[in-house]
Amino acid sequence: MQKQTRSEVLERFRQGFLGRHQSCAEWKNKGRGVIGCFYGLVPREVIHAAGLLPVQLTEERDGRLEEKAGLLPFLCGMSKNITGQIYEGRYDYLDGILVGAVCDTNRHVLDIWAHRKVVPYLRLLRTPSTANPAAWSFYAADLRRLAEELGRMGGQRVTEQRLWESIGLYNENRSLMEKFRHSRQALGISAEDALYVFASSLVMPVEEHNSLLRSLLEGPAQAPGSASGTPGVLVSAMNLNMALDLIRLVEEYGGQVVADDLSHSARYGLSKIALEGEPFLALAKGYLRRVPTPGIYSFQERAEDLAEQMRLSGARGLIYLVQLYCDAFAMEYAILKERFDLWGIPHMRLEAEDNPASLQQLNVRVQSFLESLV
Amino acid sequence: MEESPSKEQTPDLKSMLKKLSAGASYRRMLAAREQGKPICVASAAVPVEVLYAMDVYPVFPESLAAIAAGIRKAEEFFEAAREKGFSNSVCSYTRCGLGIAWTQKSAFGPIPEPDLFITDVSVCCLHVTWWAYLEDHFKKPTFYMDMPATDDPWDPDYVAYYEEQIRAMVRFIEENTSSRLSMEKLKEAVRNSDLAGLYWKKILELRQDRPSPVSFRSLAGEILPLVTALGDKDCADFYWALYESYKQQASQGYCPAQGGERFRLIWNGIPIWHHLQVITYFEEKGANFVWEPYTALSWGNKTPSGRLDAENPFHTLAEKYTNVLTNMPLERRFGYFDQAIRDYKVDGLVMFSNRSCRPQSIGQDEVVEMVRDAHGLPVLIFEGDQADAEGFSMQEAKTRIDGFLEVLEGRKRS
Repeated sequence: MQKQTRSEVLERFRQGFLGRHQSCAEWKNKGRGVIGCFYGLVPREVIHAAGLLPVQLTEERDGRLEEKAGLLPFLCGMSKNITGQIYEGRYDYLDGILVGAVCDTNRHVLDIWAHRKVVPYLRLLRTPSTANPAAWSFYAADLRRLAEELGRMGGQRVTEQRLWESIGLYNENRSLMEKFRHSRQALGISAEDALYVFASSLVMPVEEHNSLLRSLLEGPAQAPGSASGTPGVLVSAMNLNMALDLIRLVEEYGGQVVADDLSHSARYGLSKIALEGEPFLALAKGYLRRVPTPGIYSFQERAEDLAEQMRLSGARGLIYLVQLYCDAFAMEYAILKERFDLWGIPHMRLEAEDNPASLQQLNVRVQSFLESLV
Repeated sequence: MEESPSKEQTPDLKSMLKKLSAGASYRRMLAAREQGKPICVASAAVPVEVLYAMDVYPVFPESLAAIAAGIRKAEEFFEAAREKGFSNSVCSYTRCGLGIAWTQKSAFGPIPEPDLFITDVSVCCLHVTWWAYLEDHFKKPTFYMDMPATDDPWDPDYVAYYEEQIRAMVRFIEENTSSRLSMEKLKEAVRNSDLAGLYWKKILELRQDRPSPVSFRSLAGEILPLVTALGDKDCADFYWALYESYKQQASQGYCPAQGGERFRLIWNGIPIWHHLQVITYFEEKGANFVWEPYTALSWGNKTPSGRLDAENPFHTLAEKYTNVLTNMPLERRFGYFDQAIRDYKVDGLVMFSNRSCRPQSIGQDEVVEMVRDAHGLPVLIFEGDQADAEGFSMQEAKTRIDGFLEVLEGRKRS
């Protein structure tokens, strides 16, 4: 693949994410259904198998949206932002929204959406917080009911064969994302471009994303762009806009983001669904306590994964970015911190809101942290 | 079903209070440790009747946090949480509870090292992370009473899943301690719990009287055994004695509101433990709280029949503990307010918008909207925190309360 071609591919990822509302509206205009997924615990395979397009609800940088939502001031900006987008009609193409509870805010914002009847179909997944035969069986039963409901909506019955095919496609996507994660530096892809590769996976049809990823990974390796002496860091973040701000801030102060832990992508890419047994049960086993969400995933595995990413990427420090009022991630940090301290991993927590000024105010801390890594 | 704990005379309330006070609970915990009984750090809404029947002594971090906040001894625990990297946006019960766990101290003295951790994830998602932290940090056997998020807690499949969780909890305790479940003891614990819940309900019903003889400030303290001591006969006796006491007060026309009960109010949310004098201030101004979802819907016998069936202990406890208000759609939650406003002849609402408790606070504005549409009642909304006093100003609260009461007064005159 020529360099220009790689740029084109990267641009398609970027536009895939930034132009998501338009693409989804076009999909809808072709008579096909679109289902919004609120956070990473929604098994998109079931939506896909019903012939519907799963689209992660993601934040959009627009200061008016939080105000439009009218939610309580102490709730996280992401829930307010997404609620604002829904109220403003930016998600009018949605046929429904599925909520997989990862925190109290995302679970209970659903109550308000239901009350205001924001979409024709709104469903809370009954996701156990444990992983054992009883929990798998309970969750699989809920997924079967979900499949029936979505099948009626999408006009395509979710058969076992269709579901296995969908699982296969998403497993392929997971493998490709994992490969990308490890080869990003060798391919000479910037942290900002990498963010769009991840972000587009949340909103693009999986077939298209797989195809683009294959194109990207087939290209020749390049020398890593990191100048010697430039401190490389790993950025862990939930909010994509804020992650982008932080990447730019790190670069502004002479650092380089050599690896990222964007929770959407980490949740999405780490664990494949085993292709054995009955597909709903396989999904249950693949999702319950296998998606890195604070509290319902092993802290040890999570910390080890971050440490391993740092080792592979040569990152010298870790910046853990928490969106203000996200208590789940605020708690996760406090727990992971104990291990980082024990293992001698330089790390820093930043807590900010989703607006450029909020993070900019922390620039001195970022600068000092980077200097401490040189 | 029998409606009094024994055929004896009503127990003496003062002596029962001494047995069930927070300090007495602490001393009983120490005695339990002396006797070699397992000590379990349990979250609110763990079926405590089962723990009682299995001779497992529960310690409830949320209750300890509320008590520490109430006597203004929580700050050192918050400070411990800050030192560990916990942001102030994390629930104050969690921060305070973890501070208690790290320091192994409580408002009453040192806490013995626990043997087990059990949480019930129905109350909030943070319970999972909180207990996961305890498990991770203290390396003790930990059990998660799984209750997936739902907006249909009455679904029989859901109740059946939880019933199995209770059985799994019993197996967990048996596998990790020498305690064994006696079905007879469990049935007795459920009978005692049922009676405690029954008398609690009767106490709350007395508040339909005009004036209501019950002070919310008093209830906020008297609710403690309903959280921590269910299963114990003393607990049932306590609520029986308390009911008799309130009944007597009602017959004498007693009213906690000074100068007579001018306004009858609803309080929504957990009490502000660090400033319970907010409630007193209302009472000083002639306003009396007569209904709260916290006292009426969060504790007690929450089964469809309002009673517990001791002959089917696992099922009846599953019905009780799956009935979680915040797992219900907002229209259903409004339905409770709607009914209470009619039954208790309510003049206005005070909504506590609690920074720490997202499940209770999210959707509150929508409920207020429905109440205003249906009843046109004045509503005062407070923002604050249940246990962390940072940023709270009593003077500011008084100013807002005064303004609210003037509105109520104006409506009375017109």
